[in-house]
Amino acid sequence: MENILKLTQINKSFPGVKALSDVNLTVKKGEVHALVGENGAGKSTLMKIISGAYKKDSGTVWFDGKEIENTTPKQSEMMGISIIYQELNLIERISVAENVFIGRYPMKHGMVQWKKMYQDAQKLFDEYELKMDAHSLVRSLTMAQKQMVEIIKAVSINAKIIIMDEPTSSLSGKETESLFRIIRKLKSRGVAVVFITHRLDEIFEICDHMTVLRDGHYVGERDIKDITKDEMITMMIGRELTQQYPERTNPIGEVTLAVKNITDGSSRVKNVSFEVHKGEVLGFYGLVGAGRTETMRMIFGVDPLAGGEIFINGEKHVIRSPRDAIHFGMGFVTENRRDEGLFLRSSVRVNTVMVALRKILKKGFINYRIEADVAKKYVDMLHTATPSIDQKTMFLSGGNQQKVVLSKWLFSDSDIIIFDEPTRGIDVGARREIYEIINALVADGKTVVMISSDMEEIMGVSDRILVMYEGTIAGEIQKEDFSQDLITKYAVGERSVRV
Amino acid sequence: MKLKSNKNMFALIMDKLGSWSLLILIGVVMAFANSKFLTSSNILNVLRQIAVVTIGAVGVSFVILGGGFDLSTGMIATFAGCNSAALIVNHGWPILPAMLFAIAIGVVIGSINGVLITHMKIAPFICTLGMQYVVNGLILVTTKSVPITGLPEAYLYLGRGFIFDVFPVPVAIMLLFVLVGHILLKYTIFGRSIIAIGENEVAAKLSGLNVNLVKVAMYAFCGFCVSCAGIVLAARLSSGQPTSGADLSLQAIAAVYIGGTFQGSVVNTMAGALVWGFMNNALNLMNVNAYWQKVALGIIIIIAVLFDAFRAKLAMQKKS
Ligand SMILES: Nc1ncnc2c1ncn2[C@@H]1O[C@H](COP(=O)(O)OP(=O)(O)OP(=O)(O)O)[C@@H](O)[C@H]1O
Ligand SMILES: [Mg+2]
Repeated sequence: MENILKLTQINKSFPGVKALSDVNLTVKKGEVHALVGENGAGKSTLMKIISGAYKKDSGTVWFDGKEIENTTPKQSEMMGISIIYQELNLIERISVAENVFIGRYPMKHGMVQWKKMYQDAQKLFDEYELKMDAHSLVRSLTMAQKQMVEIIKAVSINAKIIIMDEPTSSLSGKETESLFRIIRKLKSRGVAVVFITHRLDEIFEICDHMTVLRDGHYVGERDIKDITKDEMITMMIGRELTQQYPERTNPIGEVTLAVKNITDGSSRVKNVSFEVHKGEVLGFYGLVGAGRTETMRMIFGVDPLAGGEIFINGEKHVIRSPRDAIHFGMGFVTENRRDEGLFLRSSVRVNTVMVALRKILKKGFINYRIEADVAKKYVDMLHTATPSIDQKTMFLSGGNQQKVVLSKWLFSDSDIIIFDEPTRGIDVGARREIYEIINALVADGKTVVMISSDMEEIMGVSDRILVMYEGTIAGEIQKEDFSQDLITKYAVGERSVRV
Repeated sequence: MKLKSNKNMFALIMDKLGSWSLLILIGVVMAFANSKFLTSSNILNVLRQIAVVTIGAVGVSFVILGGGFDLSTGMIATFAGCNSAALIVNHGWPILPAMLFAIAIGVVIGSINGVLITHMKIAPFICTLGMQYVVNGLILVTTKSVPITGLPEAYLYLGRGFIFDVFPVPVAIMLLFVLVGHILLKYTIFGRSIIAIGENEVAAKLSGLNVNLVKVAMYAFCGFCVSCAGIVLAARLSSGQPTSGADLSLQAIAAVYIGGTFQGSVVNTMAGALVWGFMNNALNLMNVNAYWQKVALGIIIIIAVLFDAFRAKLAMQKKS
């Protein structure tokens, strides 16, 4: 089959970083092409060069038989290149339909045809079998739903190639299935897809071919049918990764956090109760929208409790704000790093110390030396790819931003840490490092609660799993009973037990 | 390639110098254009002129960097000047208690702004606009719109005195405020919290910062600074003038914006005030008509803000 896109010898530098060195990429018509590599390998940068968001320093880009040079995002969209960026780019205050057609509203006699726009948008959602009201405001949607809107927006352009930069990172199994359905449909129409993901299983499910980048260099490409997962990992990280989920042997102690019948007053969280122990990793699984994040937000004092009680180390506490929660020894690694986790205009060092400012005081004043030492320590420990600790976090790759968020909670030294999708957008090598950090935390007598929509991960990391379904805890599963089948049954509400 | 690295150099210099580069530009041009410009008496004179605004602008910087806004500062300043004068002249209070009391009133007004904005969720612009009228009214009620004269020498020293007969006292006070403001902003949890809240309030809350308290405190601190500015102003004018500070709010805000808010700091705010002061001075020295001076100063504000936006863009241009 003929090539739709061919990139050769692409180079791109940022101040202090050589993001791409002589990278090649060839995508055929109707192919689903995986682009893989560690965090900061240069995947997003390469895609932004194709879309015209960045200018390459050198190299050639061929698209649809023509060499293209310095296009703007608008021009490349007109040529048939559509892109879903890694970070969501929707406008929160307007409707789903307006977002889908932004910049190309249907017009007649100089007037926007609102009705037609809503109908067209609704038609698109229906065509791809997505439950979505074209009139709803974007800000009322969950992360996963917003991601689906981005996908539909990209699809609606009728592009010849669609670039998807980590579209599944905030989706759970069910939505990922919908996305794959969409991709198959596109493929059957001869549309090519470049698919970036850190969840390797997805590549085996949907992709035909793959290209690997490492540290901004082209490492090689393979047909998916000719490669195993281990080989893929070795290509990505340059060494073998023997065991994805490290063993844990620490003892589990007394109850540290107990939640009794908490309710949010609407139907998102209904009478949730559970206990976690010292030295334990408690996994929370569920479909997106099952109420896991909402539950944790209430426990952490972000949203008010409408009812229920929270006990920490056996004592009942009223937690009115995150500040209270932190005071009682809790930490919360939030899911949405750009809006809730990071100060994007601030540097890595400023972000790292933000929760525990007290710890960098000397005689009552902030000590920049201590701050630098702390930031360096966590950059080294998590292998965060950044040219320096003074780099503004907005310039880090997605996965490295996530590592900065983790650093800030590790430095705060909480006893009970809630992780909400901690490996979202994180590469396999770094995932393993995060699992090791979680192990080190529980070995140190801390308590970990982890929300994850990744089935394999939740089974690999947890000592016990709670599955939520529509705001309630549908089931509890002990380690010896872990099975994909059982978890799924609870998650879709086919089975439930009172716990 | 050459061009690109030049551009990066340029970006770096802009990033480091900010509005100081505007100041240098004015200095260099004027040094050639007018021989009086670079004399120490002229420079001290300009510093004296901007002292009051800068003292207030230190507080206003905190509010703006913390994501807020304050239009009531000019009136709070005037109120403090008139109150202290009235207490001394009409009620026979000693100087220090009178000043402290007047400043305390300013802090209370600032705190009320803070509470209304954080707890009642009123938009800062409107809230402080309202407060400006309230305080203006109170000034007219308490002074009956008559200036309060007859202030003692010790009071006047704050605005008109010289240290060792050369260095103006208000300039010394200004430098002290800039220094303290700088330390507060860069070296304390309070300052860090302000920057964090200004940047991302949600993340600040989730990081356990006491967002509401910090916001109230920042308006209170602003009330403190502008009240002090108001007292220095009264001392300079030798009287509590009910209409003296009307322009101060906007001048202080202008100083903060000319100084730049993208990577704002108290020192940059001082640079902003200096740009304003020296520009004024340069226009005077060149005998520009007073009406045209206003036009020129307005243009300076707009250029400075464009310049700051340009810096922000340079710093972020690699972003999609
Ligand atoms: N605008 C920018 N300014 C400076 N450096 C940048 C910028 N964008 C990316 N980089 C750097 O370029 C490198 C490649 O980043 P890129 O975002 O392409 O990585 P990625 O492969 O998409 O990683 P991830 O899997 O974490 O999303 C990183 O080291 C990153 O810090
Ligand atoms: Mg990326």
